[in-house]
Amino acid sequence: MSERAQRRKGGGGREARRAARIEAKVPTVPYITRNVPCYEVMGEEGLAVIEAQAETILQEIGVEFRDDAEALQLWKEAGADIDGERVRFPKGLCKQLVQANAPREYTQHARNPERSVQIGGKHMVLVPAYGPPFVRSLDDGRRYANIEDFRNFVKLAYLSPYLHHSGGTVCEPVDLPVNKRHFDMVYAHMRYSDKPFMGSVTTPERAQDSVEMTKILFGEEFIQQNTVMTSLINANSPLVWDATMLGALKVYARNNQACVVSPFCIAGAMSPVTVAATCAQLYAEALSGMAFAQLVKPGAPVVFGTFASSMSMQSGAPTFGTPEPQLVLYVIGALARRLGVPFRSGGGLCGSKIPDAQAAYEASNTLQHAMLAGVNFMLHTAGWLEGGLAMGYEKFIMDADQAGMLHAFLKGVDLSENGLALDAIREVGPGAHFLGCAHTQENFESAFFRSTVADNNSFEQWEVDGSLDHAQRANKLWKQMLKSYEPPPLDPGVDEALQEFITRRKAEFPDSNV
Amino acid sequence: MSNEELHEEEELDLASLPDDELVQQMHDDLYDGLKEEIEEGTHILLERGWGPVKVMNEALVAGMTIVGIDFRDGILFVPEVLLAANAMKGGMAILRPLLAATGAPPVGTAVIGTVKGDIHDIGKNLVTMMWEGAGMEVFDLGINNPVENYLEALEKHKPDILGMSALLTTTMPYMKVVVEELDKRGIRDNYIVLVGGAPLNEEFGKAVGADAYCRDAAVAVETAKELIAARRAASVEQPIAVAA
Repeated sequence: MSERAQRRKGGGGREARRAARIEAKVPTVPYITRNVPCYEVMGEEGLAVIEAQAETILQEIGVEFRDDAEALQLWKEAGADIDGERVRFPKGLCKQLVQANAPREYTQHARNPERSVQIGGKHMVLVPAYGPPFVRSLDDGRRYANIEDFRNFVKLAYLSPYLHHSGGTVCEPVDLPVNKRHFDMVYAHMRYSDKPFMGSVTTPERAQDSVEMTKILFGEEFIQQNTVMTSLINANSPLVWDATMLGALKVYARNNQACVVSPFCIAGAMSPVTVAATCAQLYAEALSGMAFAQLVKPGAPVVFGTFASSMSMQSGAPTFGTPEPQLVLYVIGALARRLGVPFRSGGGLCGSKIPDAQAAYEASNTLQHAMLAGVNFMLHTAGWLEGGLAMGYEKFIMDADQAGMLHAFLKGVDLSENGLALDAIREVGPGAHFLGCAHTQENFESAFFRSTVADNNSFEQWEVDGSLDHAQRANKLWKQMLKSYEPPPLDPGVDEALQEFITRRKAEFPDSNV
Repeated sequence: MSNEELHEEEELDLASLPDDELVQQMHDDLYDGLKEEIEEGTHILLERGWGPVKVMNEALVAGMTIVGIDFRDGILFVPEVLLAANAMKGGMAILRPLLAATGAPPVGTAVIGTVKGDIHDIGKNLVTMMWEGAGMEVFDLGINNPVENYLEALEKHKPDILGMSALLTTTMPYMKVVVEELDKRGIRDNYIVLVGGAPLNEEFGKAVGADAYCRDAAVAVETAKELIAARRAASVEQPIAVAA
């Protein structure tokens, strides 16, 4: 076939191109696999010093396992020293339990198999923010979140090509009774998205309800063999595990479901003010939690989590996007790889109340460092405002756009013939431009990351378009996305069974807000 | 969707198409930047007895108008518009001598160049491409042009438009030097002077005595069309081969 005939065949004019461009979805991946090495801020010698201090903390000071006799019994049998609720660990015990049992990486299955994620190793999974009781938008300002907001953020995460996971408590639906809202939350993830999600952890019973619902969605046999939830278990730093978190962890571990075992730490208040001490304490806390999961069920998937922020020593407020927590992030990332478990940290963290320059700087600082530090499971990637008190509609769009840039960066440098493009340089030569050369014609469409939020037009064009700032453009986008949303198909029988389960369970006990 | 899947039909024989379908096909081919097809289509229409003005307006200019709209709307990318403009240029090269013979006024002619001291010409090249895409004849003087180069080209080509570009704040004042020289020689009003470049704005355009500042290549096309039409309407009432 002549070249001309081929080109004729490839035409179609405006109609075909418009259709293709409008239909063109950003190429999506179920998760990122990095081609760029992790950055480390200290060598093996430094990491060994941190680990030695963590072992000293575990052995000498110990960790409290509160209001959980079973936990104390398990630790006693494992050879730990029990003093009331204080557990002291022989040196190396926790590390040995984790290394001998916990998987280095695991698959979290989504109901749509194409969206299942690989957590650990060279992979990075981006997850929306978790926990805010408030929402903020340019339209409504700041108000308490409700279940409609919750569904909206599930839908936005589903529609975002750069978020791989539906998350968990994308915001707290405070309009629903505390003891029953988990049904509606877990159902929303199941119904309005087909990406993987997180279960309820606010009591062991609610964790069990989450497991029961996944049995309906995936089939009982499937979930006993496979991980379909990754849920968030926080330590109460310093050095305390409480019965609520331990209870939820036990439910998930026994059902082969994954837990992010994550000290939540505001340095200065909940750990010493220095980076090295905070790292050693976090490592001790996380090690004790991950080891405990292995006592409950050897082989239960766990993720080494850290949430470390600095604080304003003037006011006591947590601060975000600051340099010291980034150093913690790098050290813990290296320790997690050294230990051989997946690592959770990072996110679009900020202290700002609104999607302004502070929000963007601080979030960008954390996202970039988390990417370089080798985070595997990035909770709080999108939406976070106000130290986690508010979920921002516009901020969500801005962060998700940044998440796209992480995808492009982690592809690394293409050294193929096409990447090197020597022919293009030959073709164009000195003094001319590359806009029309064959290589550009073949590669322009996907060559550069294209932000959907940033405006790069001329000043005059920007002015004609209404002089909108970043947040105002993001405001338009989330509204368009919600308007275009269509739910992924769900088997009507499964949907009915889920709703039946929820209705039955809700009728079994009265509403309560305690 | 791959390009292969976009359009399944086998090679088209342009000569077999009736006029209206051929024009439609040429619009598509312009959009797809198929220079050879545009040249072939132009010949076929001429052989069928179409006048060069009609071929230009209905097959080429109308097709490029669609390209311009989709470029403005972010559907088409710069390299694609470049291909389309190149295809247009192919068609216009065939029509231009015929148009001259009929005495019909050309769409427009322009002399364009980056001013003295400035070697940054990507933006200027985009404007050239877009003007050619609109059917204009453009004489590109390249980079680093002293006033003599402009004067010589204006004398030689007698264009409708003089376009000047600059990227540097240190070179952009040279535009004023050129305009003042035209003034001095009493030929300033013979031309529409358009200026552009990243550090310019409308105010600067006025200050150097230009007729308009064009913020980007798409606006440069619209501005050129408008000002040429206005100028011709003001001088004599004669048919103008400019598509809106």
